[in-house]
Parts: sequence; C-alpha cells; structure tokens
Amino acid sequence: MSPVSRILRSATYLGLGLAALISVFPFYWMLVSMTNSAVEVANGKLTFGDQLIANFQSLLTEVDMVRVLFNSTVITLFGTILTVALSSAAGYGFEIFRSRFKDHLFSLLLLMLSIPFGAMMIPLFVMFAKAGLLNSFAAILLPGIASIFIVFYFRQATKAFPHELRDAARIDGLNELQIFLRIYLPVMRSTYAAATVIVFMANWNAYLWPLIVLQTNDMKTITLVVSSLVSAYNPNYGVVSVAAVIATLPTCLVFFILQRSFVEGLTGGVK
Amino acid sequence: MTSLTLRNLSKSFGAVDVVKGVDLDVVEGEFVVFVGPSGCGKSTLLRMIAGLEGISGGELRIGDTRMNEVDASKRGIAMVFQSYALYPHLSVRENMGFALRYAGMPAGQIAKRVADAAATLELTKLMDRKPKELSGGQRQRVAIGRAIVREPGVFLFDEPLSNLDAELRVHMRVEIAKLHKALGATIIYVTHDQVEAMTLADKIVVLRDGRIEQSGSPLKLFDDPDNLFVAGFIGSPKMNFLAGHRQGNRLVIPECGGHQIAMPDVKNLPAEGEPLTIGLRPQVIGRGGGEMLPLTIEIVEHLGTETLVHARPAESARNLIASIEGGRDLRTGQTFEAHFAADSIFLFGRDGLRLR
Repeated sequence: MSPVSRILRSATYLGLGLAALISVFPFYWMLVSMTNSAVEVANGKLTFGDQLIANFQSLLTEVDMVRVLFNSTVITLFGTILTVALSSAAGYGFEIFRSRFKDHLFSLLLLMLSIPFGAMMIPLFVMFAKAGLLNSFAAILLPGIASIFIVFYFRQATKAFPHELRDAARIDGLNELQIFLRIYLPVMRSTYAAATVIVFMANWNAYLWPLIVLQTNDMKTITLVVSSLVSAYNPNYGVVSVAAVIATLPTCLVFFILQRSFVEGLTGGVK
Repeated sequence: MTSLTLRNLSKSFGAVDVVKGVDLDVVEGEFVVFVGPSGCGKSTLLRMIAGLEGISGGELRIGDTRMNEVDASKRGIAMVFQSYALYPHLSVRENMGFALRYAGMPAGQIAKRVADAAATLELTKLMDRKPKELSGGQRQRVAIGRAIVREPGVFLFDEPLSNLDAELRVHMRVEIAKLHKALGATIIYVTHDQVEAMTLADKIVVLRDGRIEQSGSPLKLFDDPDNLFVAGFIGSPKMNFLAGHRQGNRLVIPECGGHQIAMPDVKNLPAEGEPLTIGLRPQVIGRGGGEMLPLTIEIVEHLGTETLVHARPAESARNLIASIEGGRDLRTGQTFEAHFAADSIFLFGRDGLRLR
C-alpha cells in the first residue's frame, strides 16, 4: 500500500470514527445522566454516578409509569399490527390485481404523501372531535393505519413476489385471502419485518398527534411524558434521562430482534 | 387421463385479441405441444385451459364437462411452471402434499401419494429440504411431483425446461417422456423450443399471432408443412429459403445469378414470373440428387458426425445452411456444389401457403 493511500485510508477511518462517536454520544450521555443528579447533569458530568435508584423513584412518584407504558404498548401494538396488515394488503392488491383505474388511484395516494401533516392536523382534529373520538386509542390509531408510505413500500416489494406462486396456489385450491395469508405473507416475511420495525418506531415515538388528541393524564404515552418532564419549570434531567431510556428500550429491542430481516426487507429480498 | 376440446376459443385483453378462435381436439393420453414464437399466445392458451385466465369467447371442455366458468382448482388439471413455483417456505414434502391438504384428503393418504411420487422421481432423500436447498433439476422434479400427486386428468407444462442448462434440459426432456409413458397421462406442454416439441410430442400445435398455423405429428409437420411459417419454425437447423420464379418447367433463382433448377411436382402450377419462395431443408443438401446450387463456404461447423456448412450463393447476402454427413474436409472459402433432389424442394406462393 502506498503512503498516500495509507493516509487516505487512515483519514477515512478517522472520519467514520468521528461520525460514529457523534452518533453514539447522545446515547452515552443519556445513560450517564440517568445515574446522576440534576445538578451533576447540569454541570456536565460525563461519568456514571450513583443516583439511578433515586431518579427511578422520583420518576415513579411523578408519573404513573405502568399506565403510561400500557398506553404506549397498546397504541404501538395495535397500531403496528393494523397498519402492517391493512397497508400490506393494499400494496399487494395494487400490484397483483388488474384494474384500469389502479395506477390513477395510486398516483393520487402518492400525491397525498406530499401534503404535510400540519395541513391536515386541524381538519383531522375537527373530524375526530365531531365523531366523539378525542382522547381515545381510536383517535391515535385510525389516521395512521392506512399508511401511504407502507402501501407504497409493499407495492414495490410485491413486484419481486413471483406471480407464478399465486397461480400455483390458485390451482392448489386457495382463495385470494388464503393466498395472501398462506403464501404471500410467509414468502415476504423480511418485507414484513422491515415494515414492522418502521411502523413500530413511528407509533412508539409518535408525539404531535397524540399531544393533540390525548387530553387526560391517564391516556398519555411515554413520549408525552418525557416531553412534559422536559418542559417542567425546573426539569430534573436525571429523571428525564431515566424516562428517555425507558422510552428508547422497546424500539432498540424490536430493531435488534428483527435486524437481519429488516436489512433483507429493505434490500428487497424474497427468500 | 382425460380428453380436451377447444372450440373457437378466444381471449382479449381490452382491444387486443391474444387468442383468436382456436379449435383443437386432444385425445386421452395424448402429448400435445404448443409451440410458437414469443407473443404467439401459447402460454395464454395454456393459462386459459388451466383457469388462470378467463375465456373471452368459445368453449373449453375437459372430458365431457364445459369448463369455461369452473375454478382452476376444480378442473382436474395440474400445472408445472417455468419458474417451478415451489412455495419457498415449505419443505419438498409439504410442497408436494399442499394441494391435497387443501382438498381435505386424510393425512395418511397424502403421505402415501407423496411417497409414491417421490419414489418415482427419486426425491425420497430430499423430502425435508426447502426449495432453496435444491438444484434446478431437483426443483423441476419436485414441481412435477407436486403435479403427479394430484392425479390430474390433464397435465399442463409451461416451458418447464427453460430455466435449466443445456445438459439438464436434455436429461429432463427424457425424464418427462418416460413419465408420460409410465403415467399415460394427457399432457399439454408449451415451449418455444422446436427441438423439445419434436422430441416429446404426439401432436405439435404451431401457433402464430393467436391462431393455429398447423397441427399434427412432428414428422407430418416436418415433412409436409402447410406454409412458410411452419416450414421455417419446425426443423433444426431451420429450412433455407430462396426467392425465385417459374420459367417453363424450371425455377429461376436470381440470387444465385439466375441459376435454374427443376420445378418440383406440384398440382397447381404458379403463373410464370410470379414471386415464389423455394424451401430446402439443410439435411437434403449434399445427399445427392440431380439439382445443384453453386455456393461459396463462409463458415464450417464441425460437429463430429456431421458438419454444418454456411455457404453463400454468388449474388446473395444470405447464407444457406447444409447439414452434411462427415464433411471433415470442408473448409472456409471453398466452392461448394450443393446437390439435392428436385422432389426435396418445398415451394411456397406469394401468400406464404405451400404449393402442393
């Protein structure tokens, strides 16, 4: 290896190392902060301390964590299952079935992706208020379960699904629903894994819409709690960090469990 | 084993007619091959028989039953696909028994049928493997096994050997022929490979542009084609064609410098000077006979027992192909006198129909 390429390679690794450090540092800071007191965090202490249990106790005193985690879990689980089920069926249908209108309809759907949520927020709120659904799980779940992005993602992924499998299944006596459930779903499992991770994270981390429609403390989700802790008159960043770690753990867990399939799904693998 | 009847069968996608009034009778146990170039409608016709495409017009009968509106799973057919279409998440055993399970057959009976088919196809050791753990040939055998276990009235094969390499294709071709002999099943087989068609079929159906050009036994189509298209499609290497016209009882070939050959024996003589197409099979050249075309050898392909000679007439840009027995001394650039018999000439009129 020539000296120039050696320097270039070293510079590349240095750059990558720096980027990795910048990415990982907030997580490290969060972990450190949850073991330190508010004063220590404010003073910029970057080593682990002994305040973990105290911070935990403070959090449990301030917040009904069981209820909050229950809310977040229910919303995320149902939201993920419903979104992936409905959007995958729509994406499959758009790709598989023949209709002279489907491409026009799909273009219309894609066009809707360009409408920012801010523009839809007030009409949606009014709609749910009139339907009497404010401050309910339905209010959180309904706007998101027909996710245009996930429909688009499944339609694209379905292009790699061998149509002859559907033909073979029809000859084997399966109806369209059985083909979808027994053939398409297991064949496209990596696509489902990737979609599940994406939708799970989006649901778990949802903030703006829950903030608008969930109006009582007993309905609050973990993101709203972290936010309310931060926006307190005198925020205790040790306690905030404990809540932030609790809020982060499930998404990390889901990602690591589905990591391999997630990558396969994003790279379009039909196995 | 079941017979099959197609009456004026047609299929349209919007304004596009893909299959145009096909009439065909397939008798019990017959091996029928649909052959034709890409886009001729052969796969669509097969899918219509399978029930995977709707029928726009006409009637399809399998046995004595009208099948136009019957669901694919209830037509008593089984299909082997080009890409095998094995369910990737199921083992070989599960793949083979899949349709039977959905038909509600008792597990014991399924196991027996699957085991029998596996033994026939030498798949017994592979039963617990997933399709991705199999070679192309093994996957093809599983696909055939999946069809066999259903004990269908009609087997449908959609270009089943296209994804295999040349050696395996020949092997599987023989296997399919053996299987047909053993099962005595009615088979409809789609291919664009005329060698496959010639070697496997009891009856070849040549399709072009959604219509049947000619159907009959392989040798009937080879020896007695109805038109220019069938003559060119059946036979390998394909038939040589030269433009010419009649002058008295001679055929004049301008692209051979006005060289004349004898007129073959035809009942309806074409008018003098009317443009004709002269067809010569590569295999009849160099086997002796009273006629001759002076050619110059451009390329020689020595295949061992025979030699393919690509040779050009004096004033023509296109080569003629001759399949010569032996021919080891032939070299590029040599003058080649292509001898053939007058009765081996095929003559086609301006409309492409054979003059007999």
